[in-house]
Amino acid sequence: MSWVKSVQYSGEDVFDEDADDINLQDKEWKYNMKKRVRDGYVDGIDHGKEASLQLGFNMGYREGAASTMAIGQLKGIISAIQCWCQLQRPDTPTPASVTDLLQRVVKHEDSLMEAMRTALENPIPSVSDVSENMEDLGVGEVESGCCGDGGCSKGSDCCRKDSDMDLGPILPQKPRLSFTLPTDPFTIIGESLEQLLQCCMDIVSELGLSQELIRHLQQLKSATE
Amino acid sequence: MAHKSEDVFDCILMADDRFHVEGYREGFDEGTRQVMIDGQELRASHGAKLSMEVSFYYGFGITWKCLLQNNTDCETLESLLGLIQRFPHEEPQYENLQEDMEKVRAKFRLVCSLLNVPTDLSNYVKSGGSWGISF
Repeated sequence: MSWVKSVQYSGEDVFDEDADDINLQDKEWKYNMKKRVRDGYVDGIDHGKEASLQLGFNMGYREGAASTMAIGQLKGIISAIQCWCQLQRPDTPTPASVTDLLQRVVKHEDSLMEAMRTALENPIPSVSDVSENMEDLGVGEVESGCCGDGGCSKGSDCCRKDSDMDLGPILPQKPRLSFTLPTDPFTIIGESLEQLLQCCMDIVSELGLSQELIRHLQQLKSATE
Repeated sequence: MAHKSEDVFDCILMADDRFHVEGYREGFDEGTRQVMIDGQELRASHGAKLSMEVSFYYGFGITWKCLLQNNTDCETLESLLGLIQRFPHEEPQYENLQEDMEKVRAKFRLVCSLLNVPTDLSNYVKSGGSWGISF
């Protein structure tokens, strides 16, 4: 079989099976390693989500809740005053100051929600920032008294009890926000919450309504300062 | 010889691990970012809305209590205020959050009907707290 001898084998020969083998193995290796990276990435995402799920939920929810407590109460107060006026004096229109204040409160509320939404769409903290916030939040700790944000660790029979004219147990705590509102959370574009609360106190005085109510409004105002 | 081939396998396994770990770290950061950031607006606004609604009921109730003083028997009103005071609505892990929220809403509707509140506040309650002024 002389034709066999006439065939020359060299490293550059296209029929060099060894070279082909090496290329193939190299490609296969790279493919497998890329696959390992992808698999790792997928596992990592799942575990990352799982690890941060509860913390992330707590952080966002509590902060959102704390930021609207005062404005929500004020809206309830002024709405009640409006109802009172309508019931007590059905033949006279509700004082313009009352309806005007209610509209301003609603506007403030909308601005607050909008500011929150905008702030949260902005660039985000890094994981290390989040870790700092974790300690900052001190899950389980409360700021003042035993009924600060986050609920009472002593159970429901603690100082959150109802008592005679006990008006002040639910006061907003200034939230430790993990997102930054464009301005102080209690001073939105336009009027500040303090201004609105003051206006409400003025109305209550003008209408000759309860002193207790004024005291409650004062407490709310102090809590937001 | 056996020793040498074990080294070779070790190298392969270590490389395999290393790639997996690299991908894992990146994925972990991404997963954390997705939860902490992407969902935060939803959670914050959820907490904000619930708090706004409960606080509204509280402010409303407290005011009526002040205005009525001792003139009227306001047991239902006291009950509403007590319910809210005991309700940790700002606590996302509270297991009865939804249930207690419904109780508060129902109590508020009752208070409104007892007070003959001449407004359609039931709209507020039905819409779960979102409400345009329509007195």
